[in-house]
Amino acid sequence: MHPVPFRKVIKMKRLLFGLAVIGLLGAAAPKPTPDPAVGKAAYESNCARCHGPTGAGDGLDAKRMSPMPRKLSEGVFKFRTTGSGTPPTDEDLFRTISTGLAGSRMPDFQRLPEEIRWQLVYYVKSLSTAFNDQKPEPVNLGTDPGPKKATVERGKELYGQLGCAACHGTAGRGDGPSAPTLVDNWGRPIRPADLTHGSAYRGGSSVKDIVARMMTGIDGTPMPSYADALSSPEDAWALATYIRSIQEKPNFQRVIEGVKGPAPLPSGPDDPAWGAAPATTLRLSSNLYREGEIQPTSVAGISVQALYNEKEILFRLAWNDPNESRESPPDAAALALIPDRRLKPKIGSLRSWPATPEAPALDLSLWQAIQAPAYEAVLKDFAQAAGAPEGGAVLESKASYAEGQWILLIKRPLAPAIPGGAALSPSRPTLIGVAVWNGGNGEQGRRRANSNWVDLVLK
Amino acid sequence: MRHFTVRLFAAVVFLSLVTCHPSRAMAAGTAVEAKGAAGTAAISGKVTFSGSAPAREKIKMAADPVCLAQHKEAALSEDLVANNGALQNVFVYVKDGLAGKTFPPPTTPVVIDQQGCQYHPHVFGIQVGQPLEILNSDATLHNINVQPKENKRFNIAQPMKGMKTRKSFDKPEMAVPFKCNVHPWMGAYGHVLDHPFFGVTAEDGSFTLKNLPAGTYTVEAWHEKLGAQTQSVTVADGETKQVSFSFKK
Ligand code: HEC
Ligand code: HEC
Ligand SMILES: [Cu+2]
Repeated sequence: MHPVPFRKVIKMKRLLFGLAVIGLLGAAAPKPTPDPAVGKAAYESNCARCHGPTGAGDGLDAKRMSPMPRKLSEGVFKFRTTGSGTPPTDEDLFRTISTGLAGSRMPDFQRLPEEIRWQLVYYVKSLSTAFNDQKPEPVNLGTDPGPKKATVERGKELYGQLGCAACHGTAGRGDGPSAPTLVDNWGRPIRPADLTHGSAYRGGSSVKDIVARMMTGIDGTPMPSYADALSSPEDAWALATYIRSIQEKPNFQRVIEGVKGPAPLPSGPDDPAWGAAPATTLRLSSNLYREGEIQPTSVAGISVQALYNEKEILFRLAWNDPNESRESPPDAAALALIPDRRLKPKIGSLRSWPATPEAPALDLSLWQAIQAPAYEAVLKDFAQAAGAPEGGAVLESKASYAEGQWILLIKRPLAPAIPGGAALSPSRPTLIGVAVWNGGNGEQGRRRANSNWVDLVLK
Repeated sequence: MRHFTVRLFAAVVFLSLVTCHPSRAMAAGTAVEAKGAAGTAAISGKVTFSGSAPAREKIKMAADPVCLAQHKEAALSEDLVANNGALQNVFVYVKDGLAGKTFPPPTTPVVIDQQGCQYHPHVFGIQVGQPLEILNSDATLHNINVQPKENKRFNIAQPMKGMKTRKSFDKPEMAVPFKCNVHPWMGAYGHVLDHPFFGVTAEDGSFTLKNLPAGTYTVEAWHEKLGAQTQSVTVADGETKQVSFSFKK
């Protein structure tokens, strides 16, 4: 690397570029002319660690990622505005580099000057022969026909007719009948996107972005192009408007607010009493490595509500899980309470708990999708036993699975039913975390999705 | 005259679609006749399978009720079909010996039909530049995911019954896999050649390469599971040479 000349180049170009912009009086900045040396230097310092020095997708961290960094030399690009199997436009690549790919490890490079991002576009193109063999074939995405023509109702109808549900599931949660068997071009299992999870769309979650995905497909994956199947631009926009409408609006908070509920707490997940309890969304993440490879968990978030009365507290947990599993290993969820908040530094994050055998115990309420009841126990590790362990107490719970979603009601006493447990009281907050296992994805024990610690406050 | 066999081929495909005969695929690609430097020689023969053929597996179509409903009895896997020693779905073609000759592609399309959630034909040949008509005869979604090495890739959705899409290939390439991700059992192979001398073995293992110019050719028999074999064959004008291939596991 030659940091000094590299910076000089940027400075000079910035100056020239600035002048050009002034000259054009604010007109769209023209693309700079390719300068391979600048592109190469920028690639080596920003991209090679993941995509590898020659774009072979073999950077240092590559194996730990899912999806893995693209083998750029192969010339297969997912997020395009061009026909199935044709290379992306320069603008498509510019966008990928500028905004990154949410829901994957590909970061955004907004911090690099525009000029450098363009040089990276040219450099990425030089890594593969795809751009010489073929020209991009831009697809006409049409324009928004407005809500009167592109209706959600029509979109929903098309979602059924066009078979999106075969992969994405009827409610869009990625649980379609064909989902478990999908593999990508590189032979790796791939999940259909959970369409309710807009923030994880890699190509953008706006209506226009969705139109682009449907019209062009996602090359390298099972997701096909619907350019021939959608009979009019109105239909494309209507379907995308529907998809946009099912994207959930997460309410990320550092607090779960328990609300005083009716005397007998609700017995079902649809009881109107839940309307009074604010739903907090917790992000879940896996952080476990084994033999240098990440074992990705599949549940990305969970919505938590709580209602309480004098004696008990009832939690309502809802999370998307594309593959229901009631066998070994079963789907499972746990509420973890820190019995004494002063212990938090010793416990560390829930993800790595128990970091050492000496790590303090947690008050766990564990539910599993099996016949045996849920239980509460103070434990030094998650013991997924088929019944309450010694010293534990059985808890009342009710779970249902439909269209790729679990809804779990689980009730525990406010005062600890077991020695060493956490005492819940309106007079002080309690630290709480949630862990979820997708048994259908082989998750059990340490391989789980975890939230951060948040405060449970009883109002 | 020169279009006649092509039409006949199309008619066979069409008729068999209408009658839903299970062996509709057998004539696929066999009857495409040479334009250009066509001759009057022919190579025909049989491909056999020695030993006991493994039983064909029943395909589990439960994931899609539309597929399931179309089969009174479970559909069987097509990757190795041997009937009393005759090997079906072997692609036989002239691999070498046509250098310097060009054969303009027919304008009549090769049709690949998705019916009963299986491809018909399962193995086919097509000329460079010849249209390929992809047809969905099922009332369910199929995606046609084609990822060749030499040719343009595509992955397109056909959600409606009766939908047709035309494609073609620019370069010769053997064994281009056709896949449907919605129905993971669906698979077919297309072979793209720059001449029309190819055929796919029928139920009785037979094939014919017609209208060859006289010459010495390398003929290859390709099977998706059993590999490929070649033989050198010399044919004179007006002559039909018999050639046989034998595969084993
Ligand atoms: C921390 C790792 C990481 C870094 C650094 C990184 N990428 Fe990526 N990149 C990825 C991953 C992972 C993917 C695959 C995402 C997927 O398949 O959905 C990807 C995909 C891509 C794609 C393919 C997009 C598509 O449409 O398929 C391009 C182009 C790309 N990266 C360019 C770059 C460039 C240029 C840089 C440097 C400026 C860079 N990346 C830096 C991880 C990284
Ligand atoms: C054959 C299976 C299949 C079908 C059918 C299918 N998809 Fe997909 N879809 C996928 C897969 C797999 C992904 C994830 C690709 C990835 O992770 O790179 C995906 C991703 C998406 C995304 C997210 C793109 C992003 O930016 O991350 C959207 C939106 C989408 N599909 C919409 C649809 C719609 C709408 C339909 C019906 C018109 C549909 N899909 C039909 C398999 C399918
Ligand atoms: Cu199919």
